[in-house]
Amino acid sequence: MAHITVDGTVLEVKEGALLIEELLANNINIPHFCYHPALGKDGNCRMCMVEIEGQKRPQIACDTPIKEGMIIRTKGANIDRVKRSILELELINHPIDCPICDQAGECSLQNYYMDVGLYESRLSTPKTRGEKHVDLGANVVLDQERCVLCTRCVRFTKNITKTSELGVLSRADHSVITTFPGAKLSNPYAMNVVDLCPVGALTSKDFRFQKRVWFLNAKEAICDHCARGCSIFVDHHKEKYKDEVIYRYRPRLNDKINGYFICDAGRLSYHKENENKEFHALIRGKISEYEYAEGKLLRLLKRHLGKTAFVISSNLSLEEMVRVQKLAKLYEIALNAYEPERFDTSFGDDFLKCNDRSANARALPLLGIDTSKEMLQEALNRVELVVLIGRSDANVIKEMGYTQNIAILCSRCEVTCKEVELVLPIASHTRREGSFINLDGYVQHSACAIQSEHGHKTLLAILAPILGDTIFTCKEVWEAELFFYEVLKGVSFDSLKTTPKIAL
Amino acid sequence: MGIKIVPRHGNTLKEKLYLPAIFGGMKTTLSHLITNLSDTPEIKTINYPEEQPHDISERYRGVHRLTKRDDGSVRCVACFMCATACPAECIFIEAEERNDGVDEKMPKRFDIDLLECVFCGACVEACPCDAIRMDSGIFSFIGKKREDFVLSKEQLLANEEKKA
Repeated sequence: MAHITVDGTVLEVKEGALLIEELLANNINIPHFCYHPALGKDGNCRMCMVEIEGQKRPQIACDTPIKEGMIIRTKGANIDRVKRSILELELINHPIDCPICDQAGECSLQNYYMDVGLYESRLSTPKTRGEKHVDLGANVVLDQERCVLCTRCVRFTKNITKTSELGVLSRADHSVITTFPGAKLSNPYAMNVVDLCPVGALTSKDFRFQKRVWFLNAKEAICDHCARGCSIFVDHHKEKYKDEVIYRYRPRLNDKINGYFICDAGRLSYHKENENKEFHALIRGKISEYEYAEGKLLRLLKRHLGKTAFVISSNLSLEEMVRVQKLAKLYEIALNAYEPERFDTSFGDDFLKCNDRSANARALPLLGIDTSKEMLQEALNRVELVVLIGRSDANVIKEMGYTQNIAILCSRCEVTCKEVELVLPIASHTRREGSFINLDGYVQHSACAIQSEHGHKTLLAILAPILGDTIFTCKEVWEAELFFYEVLKGVSFDSLKTTPKIAL
Repeated sequence: MGIKIVPRHGNTLKEKLYLPAIFGGMKTTLSHLITNLSDTPEIKTINYPEEQPHDISERYRGVHRLTKRDDGSVRCVACFMCATACPAECIFIEAEERNDGVDEKMPKRFDIDLLECVFCGACVEACPCDAIRMDSGIFSFIGKKREDFVLSKEQLLANEEKKA
């Protein structure tokens, strides 16, 4: 431990650590381009200048190890002058096309310039032009003119993905980020460079011109694309007279699970959340009122009392599974979670992606829910009604020789939906909150519950009246039901924020 | 706190009679009538709509128009600054890629709902490209149904600057 004085306040920090790390950790604003916690220091942008007592000139905070008793100034006319000069240099060849730049609103260059910019050009020679729309591959578009050459993207492909597709070509003001001739940026994590890029040089082809970022609302969530359960931000916006639309997923820092990154497949999986606009409740393939279909479900359950099976998806949240299990126990309903397509051996890798594609399958053995095909077959032989919950793969049931009534509670319309007795849409992943247990046993809460305009209720809200109680929220489920489970000892709803780990 | 005592008026006999005040008022009215009868052209009215107003100044905020570049194409780059600044939220923009080499981005849809618009001019102030102006001089806009008042990109581009 060392004590340093920053702008007159004494901080206790780790000796030998990089100055910028500790300053940022203490919420002290240090402008920086090239430094990134996941990529380390590079010292090329010179933006993080601070004054250190005893040193002749301002020093870069990203490459200064902390020593006991350092006295540091991050503000003041002198340091502002230095920053202003650096920004002036960065902007010499910058096209200043913020009106058409997707980064505008979350651009470091823009923000720093607002703070200490010169606001007056002293340039008398023409700007060096670069290419404006270079398709690097993997949904990444490069604008060479906007680049500040911080090389974060280069270091990401070199150190993190170890694919080294990107490099810096040419010298001086002709320097540009580029791929090798004939090669493209192609790795399953490539779109992270868009988030890494502090300016608008690398933008996502998927998000390009879709929405200005200041309109977006960010909600914290968990990605459900594979069993890793990466922490994400869901950026959504409701335009006037239009439906709530999700525009992008962004990685959210979680040291225990995904760090600063997510995979491209998970990032683009938000598309499926926008696709349920035309999904209505169906009774024998015909569109029905939602409330009527809800009543129909209850009538079906009553009619086939004791001769019903629930076949649930392993993507249901922990809370939903517990509630479904409670209902199954109460009315002696067979409960199974057999899923033939749960594992995808072509998906996983050694970084974040994994072959297990279910968001919450770890909870099934913990709660004692059966996943075997034999038990499902045995149940199918004696029941008259199968309710698929959170899934719509009725063909799996049919292939097993089952021919009687099928009801589906799912969030996405599939082909099979037209052929069954009842389809009741439920709120999709980002439209309801829930907790998930990831591959390594970390329990996480996805708090993102974007209001559904189509009146699609959450599964918890559908189950509450059937169970005859008023437990609608995850917190209530934790307090009323999950409290009893031995495996979740020491884990409470409030402690989910810290991502607790349980033994699997 | 200081209290100011205001004298109460209307308690004198002259004021309670009302008639002197009425005659005083009628005097002004009658004098205007007589002046106008003797000098008709000085009356400050026009035969609208046959006669159009001639005092629409250069700064008058009329119906919006989208300006064009030198090559006649739309100047707007769909940066959404106008829609962001708009207090009535009456500007609806959809952006798209522009492939003609002039610029990278342009509006696919640019609608202004004149029934929602409060004609404050914030959009004009906000525009970084001088792409939207309110100098068309159109002060009266007529439509038969609500949808007629939603001006599309094409209609806005067709509006011309009012010539002095």
